[in-house]
Amino acid sequence: MSEPLLEIEDLRVRFRSDEGVVSPVNGVSFQVHEGETVAVVGESGSGKSMTSLSILGLVPAPGEVYDGSIRLQGEDLTKMKRSQMRKLRGNEISMIFQEPMTSLNPVFTIGNQMIEVIRLHQKLDKTESIQQAVTMLDLVGIPEPERVLKQFPHQLSGGMRQRVMIAMALSCNPKLLIADEPTTALDVTIQAQILNLMKELKDELNTGVILITHDLGVVAEVADRVVVMYGGEVVEEATVDEIFNHPVHPYTKGLLASVPKMTGPVEELGAIKGSVPTPSEMPTGCKFHPRCPIATDLCKQVHPQLEETTPQHFKRCFHTEGGVKHDEHERSTIS
Amino acid sequence: MRFFLTSVIKIIPVLFIISFIVFFLVRLTGDPVSLMLPETATDQQREDLRNSMGLNDPVYIQYLNYMADVVRGNFGDSYKYNEPALEIVLERLPASFTLAISSMVVATLIAVPAGIYSAIKRNTFIDVVITGSSVLGKAMPNFWLGIMLILLFAVHISIFPVSGSGTIMHLVLPSITLGTAIAAEMTRLIRSSMLEVLGAEYIRTARSKGLLETVVVNKHALRNALIPVVTIMALQTATLIGGTLITETVFSWPGMGQLLVQAVNARDMAIVQAATFIIAILVILSNLMADLTYRYLDPRIKYDD
Ligand SMILES: Nc1ncnc2c1ncn2[C@@H]1O[C@H](COP(=O)(O)OP(=O)(O)OP(=O)(O)O)[C@@H](O)[C@H]1O
Ligand SMILES: [Mg+2]
Repeated sequence: MSEPLLEIEDLRVRFRSDEGVVSPVNGVSFQVHEGETVAVVGESGSGKSMTSLSILGLVPAPGEVYDGSIRLQGEDLTKMKRSQMRKLRGNEISMIFQEPMTSLNPVFTIGNQMIEVIRLHQKLDKTESIQQAVTMLDLVGIPEPERVLKQFPHQLSGGMRQRVMIAMALSCNPKLLIADEPTTALDVTIQAQILNLMKELKDELNTGVILITHDLGVVAEVADRVVVMYGGEVVEEATVDEIFNHPVHPYTKGLLASVPKMTGPVEELGAIKGSVPTPSEMPTGCKFHPRCPIATDLCKQVHPQLEETTPQHFKRCFHTEGGVKHDEHERSTIS
Repeated sequence: MRFFLTSVIKIIPVLFIISFIVFFLVRLTGDPVSLMLPETATDQQREDLRNSMGLNDPVYIQYLNYMADVVRGNFGDSYKYNEPALEIVLERLPASFTLAISSMVVATLIAVPAGIYSAIKRNTFIDVVITGSSVLGKAMPNFWLGIMLILLFAVHISIFPVSGSGTIMHLVLPSITLGTAIAAEMTRLIRSSMLEVLGAEYIRTARSKGLLETVVVNKHALRNALIPVVTIMALQTATLIGGTLITETVFSWPGMGQLLVQAVNARDMAIVQAATFIIAILVILSNLMADLTYRYLDPRIKYDD
């Protein structure tokens, strides 16, 4: 495989406060190639947003990346000067956020906010950057782009705003696009439109995409590869086909089982009991063991490593397809 | 424009109520005749004056006459200056205006950077210093600060004149006195408003675009943070006017505030009435201005009408 566009290795984020240290991201590693869409999935609080904010160097204070590396085409972003980092933001790496309602500044026009980023990173004069903004709005399927440029965010619908966000994010032709739950706040038909749009644009511009979501339906539709996160760690990583056809981690299986089926009534996340522990009360051993239906004593005591089971398929779990037997053997070796 | 018209229409009942209050306040403070005539005046003289002033008419007639005068802008003559009260008050208006504007400039120059800075450096030493100073600034009485400034910068080191008006130098100390008092409140408002805005998602978006932090703060955050500040400051115009009364008196600044204080002391009721009325109108106008500024700052308002 060619050199990856983005290479995250053993990324660790921590928040230090009077109450102590919490680490929402604990040794996350994965890669994104050019033109590839990597979905990062996991329940709320699993550290998806913190991972993506780390890439842009935007972990909110007092949080900090304290270990690991994030290399964009070989250059480590965690070691970069702020001024260098700013040249990448919105230019080489762009981000789309979850809430289209609040992600645009309410007091400036769409045009003002779009042209701002275009002029910042490209050597274009005012008319050229307006032209560029119009082109981008056109590209994301916004009718009457010239008129929309003069409008304020509150005059647009949620779907339109998210299109604007996408147009803005792509306006400088980024190599990497991070989309943090770009469709969660939108209704289903608009969701599909936005996802299709992102897919089309990615193919057209050959952008690498990190798509953060907890909606596996979305993943099936657009992702090439899937990274499953739990408790600030990657617990499974594989191609989208592998994840859907041969999931190995009980957590992934649980997530898959909780996908609402088109035929039946919508199930709650009933397949996995309990909820993600907060970073301050992470259990020892496998972080998933308190909720795992097949946890053994080994799982409670020893923290499993991420290992490759079949080529390009990684998991962080002691269990194999053979199941519990193998584990009981392992347990006897440690006790 | 429609907004402007409706606002003007809304003002009319307010003015009506104010005139009503002024009318009774003046009549509650005692018999004006006994103040206007020397103690040696005879009963006949007093009665004549009362009759000529219409004070023996029934109250509602007095009120109607008074209203008829007020509508024509006639608040009676000042007995001290022997001139129409309204004219005297209006003559003083520019001086007060100059002081108010320059104090607001001083306040803004202090409060905007201080408020922003303490917000972005929250919970650091510098934030504590700024917040502490604004508490101090609010607690410090205006007259005391004014006198201290006079002692320091006019008496000890004579950079500025002690009092009076005429040159720009005369304006400096009164503006600082009044300005710092306003700045104290304003800094606190800007700080808390900024803190709220800085956590907003559009700020994260702005940063994700690669903008300089100064642009993020001074463009994206400040513009949003100022919206509530403008409103609250406008509601404080009354406090500002209260401040001008004291500041003008301390510095002998020939404005409306000084005039009003003197008129109250001299029981020059025509002037008190006219000044009160003008002040009320100013407060209303400033609220109207705040509304307009608010609309300008927050595009969401315009379209909600
Ligand atoms: N300021 C902070 N101080 C301490 N911990 C924080 C802070 N901000 C976030 N965290 C922790 O980081 C953890 C991971 O948050 P993150 O936003 O990355 O989750 P997520 O996977 O994106 O969830 P969601 O699906 O809800 O967006 C949270 O559980 C939270 O406890
Ligand atoms: Mg998130």
